[in-house]
Amino acid sequence: MNRFALLTFYRSLVRHKLYAALNIGGLAVGIAVFLVLGLYVRFETSWEHWLPNYGHVYLVETRDGDTTSGIPNQNSPIAFWSAVEKDLPGSVGSRLSSFNATVLQGGVGVSEKLGLVDADFPKLFEMPLVAGDFAGAFASPSNIVLTEHVARKYFGESAPIGKAMTVVFSGKQHAYRVAAVVKDLPKNTDIDSAMFARLTISEDKAADDYKSTHQWNYFNPQTYVRLPDDAARQRFADALPGIVARHAQSETIDNPGFSIKLSLQPIAAVHGEAAGERLAVATLGIVGVLTLLIAVVNYINLATARAGLRAREVAMRKVLGADRGTLARHYVGEAIATTAIAGFIGLVVAEIGLPLVNAAGGLALSIGYFGANGIVLPLVALVLIVGTVAGLYPAIMLARLPAAAVLASARSPGGGRAGTYVREALVVFQFAIAIAFIIGTIVLVGQTRHVRNADLGYHREGMMLVFSLGSQSLNNAQRDTLLHRFAAMPGITGATVGNNVPGGGTFTSETDVPIPGVQGKGPSIRFFETTPGFFDLMGAHLLAGRLFDTAHPADVNPNLDDKSGDGTKPYNAVINRTALASLHIPSPQAAIGRTFYGPNNPPRTIIGVIDDMRFDDPRVPIPPTLYDFQLRDPRQAVAILRYAGDPQTILDEARAVWRQEAPEVPFQAKTATQNLEAYYAHDDRSAKLFTIGAVLAVAIGCVGLWGLASFNTARRIKEIGIRKTLGASSADVVRLLVGQFLRPVLIANLFAWPLAFFAMRTWLAGFDDRIALSPLFFVAATVLAVAIAVLTVLAQSLRAARSTPAWALRHE
Amino acid sequence: MIRLENIQRRYASDEVETTALSDIDLHVAQGEFLAIMGPSGCGKSTLLNILGTVDRPSAGRYMFGDRDLARLDEAALARLRSETLGFVFQSFNLIDELTIQENVELGLAYRKDKSGDRRQRVAAAMDRVGISHRAKHYPHQLSGGQQQRAAIARAIVGDPSLILADEPTGNLDTENGAQVMNILESLNAEGATIIMVTHSPSHADAAQRRIDMLDGRIVASVARAI
Repeated sequence: MNRFALLTFYRSLVRHKLYAALNIGGLAVGIAVFLVLGLYVRFETSWEHWLPNYGHVYLVETRDGDTTSGIPNQNSPIAFWSAVEKDLPGSVGSRLSSFNATVLQGGVGVSEKLGLVDADFPKLFEMPLVAGDFAGAFASPSNIVLTEHVARKYFGESAPIGKAMTVVFSGKQHAYRVAAVVKDLPKNTDIDSAMFARLTISEDKAADDYKSTHQWNYFNPQTYVRLPDDAARQRFADALPGIVARHAQSETIDNPGFSIKLSLQPIAAVHGEAAGERLAVATLGIVGVLTLLIAVVNYINLATARAGLRAREVAMRKVLGADRGTLARHYVGEAIATTAIAGFIGLVVAEIGLPLVNAAGGLALSIGYFGANGIVLPLVALVLIVGTVAGLYPAIMLARLPAAAVLASARSPGGGRAGTYVREALVVFQFAIAIAFIIGTIVLVGQTRHVRNADLGYHREGMMLVFSLGSQSLNNAQRDTLLHRFAAMPGITGATVGNNVPGGGTFTSETDVPIPGVQGKGPSIRFFETTPGFFDLMGAHLLAGRLFDTAHPADVNPNLDDKSGDGTKPYNAVINRTALASLHIPSPQAAIGRTFYGPNNPPRTIIGVIDDMRFDDPRVPIPPTLYDFQLRDPRQAVAILRYAGDPQTILDEARAVWRQEAPEVPFQAKTATQNLEAYYAHDDRSAKLFTIGAVLAVAIGCVGLWGLASFNTARRIKEIGIRKTLGASSADVVRLLVGQFLRPVLIANLFAWPLAFFAMRTWLAGFDDRIALSPLFFVAATVLAVAIAVLTVLAQSLRAARSTPAWALRHE
Repeated sequence: MIRLENIQRRYASDEVETTALSDIDLHVAQGEFLAIMGPSGCGKSTLLNILGTVDRPSAGRYMFGDRDLARLDEAALARLRSETLGFVFQSFNLIDELTIQENVELGLAYRKDKSGDRRQRVAAAMDRVGISHRAKHYPHQLSGGQQQRAAIARAIVGDPSLILADEPTGNLDTENGAQVMNILESLNAEGATIIMVTHSPSHADAAQRRIDMLDGRIVASVARAI
């Protein structure tokens, strides 16, 4: 662009303020949406990138022996890495076992996340050092490494290195000395421990589960391995089946047929493996791009619609000797300059909007300007690309205007019929996306509401879960006392104990149940431990038979208390509805009285069938479940309290009781709805971000439509005058003008409906518990889009329609 | 300097074909002042547009000096316009967003040779038409006569050998019209070739030769008695 181009550009902006505002405003909002969603996508795809060697670190993932599909387990057997150390000496890797540990400070316990790791851990996770010796910290089992905020919490501003610390986990006290302090971990990491200590492995069969290498079916730790290149990765992956074959069966005490499949996952690809998360992130990225495209289309539409007004200028420039190339470059330059202004404003809008987006999505996104992740260079590139894309077609169209015809004609040319078709096609494109976005928003909001309000097979409201009851620092007598005191609290209407609760269990176990007359080891059934009052308190729906009752001694599982026995004494069981199909039972009634045996299973006779209770992720199918009945507390027990009234009051009272009975154990409790929140948070966030993007995309589309309508209406004022002179009423004229814009909006549905149908069907397919894709969503979106479009163009159409014909005829 | 041989110009729309010019043979000598007259719609402006290379003939030959313009591509024609031709229109066609000075300077903007004396040439051209005192004004702040003088300044700033004027006095009152004619005559006296479309017989009298057109054809060619 030469000086004249810049001058005309600047003065044209100042002179046609409305046009400039529409164009720049639309582009700015489009760029802001693109930037914010781009930041989100970058955040979600940058997990573990803070590690200098993230490209060489892999997580060992596991799958059950005979499954290859589904989401793999990110934990692996504790014994696995010990086997690697034996079979592949020199391998660099580390386990990471996470514990809800308790730091004892002045007799009061404070809960902290502790990670137990192997000595090589610092070679994989090169955490930025604040003080001490991180690299050699895990040479001694009495060393502990703290993150900065934990160090400050317990030692204030004084130097923590060498100081003593008492940490309780797995029911035992451990004395540590602080060896190093590392920086707090960034947000984009799955490592949630704030303290790290050495994992001491024991080959003793009587050792605790977490450290015993005789446990291939104890899945607590994550196992990470560092592999320098692809060849090493391949060699390691090839060696995995052999390691399992040599060790797994012979080293697993109570499950002789045990087998698993191991695989390697690059550490940066671990996050978002859960069903639907990647899809959600990709979708939001696409929303960002499409919103920007809608803004680009606005520019193209307004620029080509206005081209007629610039025709004389173009013709004059041609007469003065400008060729097409020069003119095209000139107008592309204008588009880039416009986009540059919009880019700057968009950046400001993004900065202003980011706190709101962070609040809505529970995020901590921020804009960095310079450096490796700086936004300046990408933004400049974006401005050049968007400016060129937006400016190219109008520039070519302007440059091709026939100078002689323009100069000879009294009226400005309108860009011809082809130009009108192109604009209409672009409006169709904009509204196809907008309507698809509206449908998407309706479905997303509908589904996220559904999972929060759906009948889960139990009453989720008014339920308090006290997780700290399962602490190994407590004995059974203390647990009984606590439960009795909880039950006696005002507002509490019921109290029981379980280890599978809404929001996920603290202990899950599955067992194969062979079906009589059917080959094979039978379906894998989840195994729930319940205690008296569990079903009543949940509000479970009985489908057939009866629930457990202490009056029936045969209901109680005798094997748990029978340490001397072989674990095969018969007892009664309750199953859920899903288990019927797995066990080949045609109806709930037919299940009653059926007994299932197995080589390693006690005979279980079904006395009752309950409707499914969804404790887990709405994305995951409810597993076939078998409930047993026991009188003592289950492993890793959770107190389940039914309450009426304000949850905070109940929580405060329960904490007060806890402090009196077990001050050394940190109190941990949540309501059931809070505990379920983890399953909904990610989808809620996606839905909110999607909605924000969609609303702004529709708004940008409307701004464009409004601009287009105002130019078109202005162009047709004389025509309106002629029509009115010939007897057209104002209503006829409004119908004519509104209809002109309604047509592309209606055509847009032809594209939007199938697009939204396939996209939303794919997204909903990720949920086991999902809403139906109702045709009403589509109709509602169309009605909304049409209403928005009509309202957008109605005011101008009315004004034009009401003008007196005499004025309109003189108008040029 | 200019030789048109059997020039045709037809416009084709979906249903009808209109002939705007037919069988135009015209020779214009270097330094000549030629006036074109005729009723509305007779093809005067079309002929001027073809002469100015902003329109191409449907048939026939257009020799500009020793160059056959049919053989030149769009970019070469644009260069020819920027270096050799100057245009003056009835409706001035000044660019609203630029000041008078900038509009005049625009006459040099698309030239390949970016000579350093631009400012002087712009000043000289504005001086030549007596518009220097309005240099910093925008077109809408000027009277019609002033705007047309500015348009002439823009046409002559590049020192063209051919000036094409399409009813340059059509939108002006008598006094302003006379001023514009004076400028054109003195430019011609200094050696510029001028071809002017006009409705005014008295202004046509300023030219050395007049051609009359009717229905796309030249029907008469009258040399002024000296």
